[in-house]
Amino acid sequence: MSATTLRRPALPSSGAKLVNVLKANRSARIMSWISLLVAWQLATLVIPSELIPPPAQVLEFMWNEVRAVTVAPETLYMSFGLSFERLGVGLAIAFAIGTPIGLAMGMYKPVEHFLHDFVVVGLAMPSLVWALVAGMWFGFGNLAPVITVTLAAVTFVVINIAEGVRNVPKELLDMSAAYGVSRWRTIRHVIFPSLMPFFFAALRYGFANAWKGLVLAEVWASTSGAGWVIKFWYDAHRSQGIVGYALFFILVAILIERLVFGRLSNYVFRWRATTSREIPEPASEAPAKEGA
Amino acid sequence: MATNAVESPDASSSPQESDEKAQLNAQLRQQQRAERRSRWFWRISGYVFFFGLWQFASSFLVADFIVPPPLAILEKMRDIIVSGEVWVHFGATLSTIAIGFTVAYVLGAALGMLIGRSRWWESFFGDWVMATLTTPGLVFALLTAMVFGLGQLGPIVAVIITSISYVTVNVVEGVKAMPEDLVSMARAYRRSRWQIVRHVFIPFLAPFFFTAVRYGFSIAWKIATLTEVIVGTAGIGFMMRREFQSFSMTGFLAWVLLFFAFALFLERVVLQRQMKRVLKWRPEVAK
Amino acid sequence: MATIRLEKLRKEFITDDSKVVALNDVSFEVSGQEFVSVIGPSGCGKSTLLNILSGIETATSGKLEITEGERQARLGYVFQAARLLPWRTVMDNLLFVQDVRDKETRERCQRYLEMVELGHTGKQYPSQLSGGMQQRAGIARAFSTEPDLLLMDEPFSHLDAITGRSLRRELHELWTRTKKTVLFVTHDVTEAVELSTRILMFAKGGHLVEEVTMDLPFPRDATSDEVALARADIMRRFEALDLVAT
Repeated sequence: MSATTLRRPALPSSGAKLVNVLKANRSARIMSWISLLVAWQLATLVIPSELIPPPAQVLEFMWNEVRAVTVAPETLYMSFGLSFERLGVGLAIAFAIGTPIGLAMGMYKPVEHFLHDFVVVGLAMPSLVWALVAGMWFGFGNLAPVITVTLAAVTFVVINIAEGVRNVPKELLDMSAAYGVSRWRTIRHVIFPSLMPFFFAALRYGFANAWKGLVLAEVWASTSGAGWVIKFWYDAHRSQGIVGYALFFILVAILIERLVFGRLSNYVFRWRATTSREIPEPASEAPAKEGA
Repeated sequence: MATNAVESPDASSSPQESDEKAQLNAQLRQQQRAERRSRWFWRISGYVFFFGLWQFASSFLVADFIVPPPLAILEKMRDIIVSGEVWVHFGATLSTIAIGFTVAYVLGAALGMLIGRSRWWESFFGDWVMATLTTPGLVFALLTAMVFGLGQLGPIVAVIITSISYVTVNVVEGVKAMPEDLVSMARAYRRSRWQIVRHVFIPFLAPFFFTAVRYGFSIAWKIATLTEVIVGTAGIGFMMRREFQSFSMTGFLAWVLLFFAFALFLERVVLQRQMKRVLKWRPEVAK
Repeated sequence: MATIRLEKLRKEFITDDSKVVALNDVSFEVSGQEFVSVIGPSGCGKSTLLNILSGIETATSGKLEITEGERQARLGYVFQAARLLPWRTVMDNLLFVQDVRDKETRERCQRYLEMVELGHTGKQYPSQLSGGMQQRAGIARAFSTEPDLLLMDEPFSHLDAITGRSLRRELHELWTRTKKTVLFVTHDVTEAVELSTRILMFAKGGHLVEEVTMDLPFPRDATSDEVALARADIMRRFEALDLVAT
C-alpha cells in the first residue's frame, strides 16, 4: 500500500503539454546549458571583452581546435592524448605498488599501524605539492608528470584496498570453509568479487586526484600535454584560448564521468539492485576516525 | 575502535555474578592494553623508519638540495615563524579561504537543499556540480586569474567555484536521506513545523553539514594556495612558488609542511572535536 | 475514552497505470474502554486506515470523527519500529511530544517510563537500549501524552517471541489501568485474540468483512485452549472468505 506513488493525471491541452516537456528532467539539462550561454553573452556586454571573450569567439576557437587548426605547438588531440598516456602509465604504477601494500595493511594489524599516519598524510597532501616536488626532482620531461600521477594516486589505492580487505564478508568465508571450497576458488569467487567495488573506488578517486596533479605537473615540470597548453594560452593572453580549453577540460570530465565511470560502475555492480549501484565513498574517512 | 558496551547497571544481578563480571572486565582491559601497546610500538617504529630513511637518503644518497635533512627543514620553519613572515602569508591565505569558503558554504548549502528536493533542479545543476568536482583546479585558477587579474579577488572566486560543489554534494545526500518515518511520527503527534525542523531536521542534517565543512574546507585551502602560486602577491602559495623558482627544496618543504600541519590540525582536530560534541548520541561516538 | 465513527470511508491511490482502492467504503464505530484489533492479510488497507486516523494521510471520500465528549480526541501512536529520535535521550523523546513541558509533565513522563520498567533509562540515548526496550519507550511515549485514543501499528512484529509476549502482557496491564480506547493493527491472529475485546477483519481491496466480539474473560493465556479455539474460528472465517472470492 505504502509503495504506491501519487501522480496527477496528465492533462491533454497543448499548453499543458509544453509545460510537461519543460518539466522533464532532460530539458532541465538543456536549459542549464542555454542559460549559461545567455548569462555569458550578457556578461560580455558589460565587462570588457579582453577579460571575458564572447561565446561566439570561444566556440570558433573550439571548432578550430577540433579540426586540429591551432597556433599552439600541440593540437587538441596531441595534448590530451599525451596527458592520458602519462595518466595511464602513472596509474598502472600506482596500482602495482599500492595493491600489495593495501593488501598487507588490510590483513596485518602491525603493517596497518606502521603505515597508517603516512598514508593519511599522503591522502590529504595537495597534488600541487607532488607536482612541484616532482618538478624539482626530475626537471622537465615525461618523468615528473608520471611520478606526480603515481604519488597522487597511490595512497587512494592503498587505503581503499586495505578497507576492501577488511570488508570481505566473514560469513561467506566461513561458508566456503564449511563446504571445503579450495583456497583458489575462495579467492576467485569470494575475496576478489568483494574487493571489486573497492578497486573501483580506488580507480575513481585515484584518477580524479591524479588528473588534477598531472595538469599541474605539466605546467611546471614539462613542455607538453593538456595542462601545459592551457598555460600556453594564459601566457599568450588569449582569453578565448583559456576559456575554450577550460571548456574542453570540463567536457572531458563529464565524458569520463558519464561514459567511462558510469558504464564501469554499472558493470562492476551488475549483481546489485539497480538502485544501489553507486560507488562506495572514498575510504579516506574511515581510518581517520579510528585514530581519534 | 570502541563499541558501545554501555549497558545499564543491572540492579538484580547477584554478588557472585558481578564478581564474574569484574573478572571478565579485567581480562578485557588487559587485552585492550596489550593491543594498545602493540599499536603504539608499530606506529612509532613507522615514524622512526620513515624519518630514518629520509635522514639516511639526505646524508648518504643524494645532495641536500634534492632531499634536505629533516633538521634543516625544522630550522627553516623556525626561522619563518621567528621572523614573523609566517603571519603575513598565513594571514593572506587564511583570509582568502575564510571569505571564499563562507560564501561557498552558504551558497552550496542552499543549492544542496534545492537539488535534494527537486529532480528538475538536480538535472539543471547536475552537470556543473560534477564538472567542478572533477575538473582540475588549475583550470579555474587560470580562468579567475584571467578575469580578475592580480589581487585577492581571483583566489576568492576560485575557492568559491571549486568548494561549492563539495558542500552541495554532501548536503544533497543528507536531504535525500531524510528520515520520513520520524517526520510522520512527529506529524502524528501534531508537532509544529518549527518543532519538526528543530528536533528532527537539524539534528539529522548536522553530520552532513559537518562533513560538508570538512570536505569543502579541505578543497578550499588547496585551491587557495594553487591560485596564489599562479597570481598571488602574498600568501603560502606565493612563497611556495618563490622557493620553487629558486630551487630551494628546504624552503619549499618548510612552507608546505607548516601550512599542511596547520590545515590538518584544523580539519582533523578542531572540526572533529566539534563534530563529536554534536554527535554524542551516535552509538559509535558515545564511547 | 474516545469515540471513533467512520462512515463510508474511502481511500484511492492513483498509480502509473491503474487505480488502487486501499479502503473500500469502510464504516464502523469504536467507543469507550474498548481494545479493537484490525486484522487481515498484507495489502488489506490496515496501515492506510491508521494513517488516515492519525492525520498523516487524508481520505478520498467519506466521513471520519474522532471525539472525546464534545471535543476533538487526543491521540497516541505506537509504530512498528519504535521511531525514537536517535539524537535525543529517552526522556527528551517523551518530552518532544508534549505540549507543555513543566515539572508536572516531567513527573508524568517518568511515571510512564517506570510503568514500562524503563525508569532508570531517562538519560540514555535510544541506541543504548535493546530493541524491546526501545519499543517499550515508544509505548511509554504514547501513554505519556494521556491520549483518549491509542493507535498501534503492529508494535510487536519486529520483536522476538519472548520479548513480544512480555510486552503484550505489559500493554494489557497498562490498558486495564488507564482505561484507554485502543485501535490495534496486526497480522498476528493470536495476538489479536489475546488482547482484544473486538476484532475487525479486513480483506484484500480494503473491505471490512466481519466484526467479531471477543468475550473471553481477561487475563487470557495465549497458550490456552480457549484462545486456540477462538483463533481457529477466525482463521476459518478468513478461509471461507477466500473460497467466496475465488
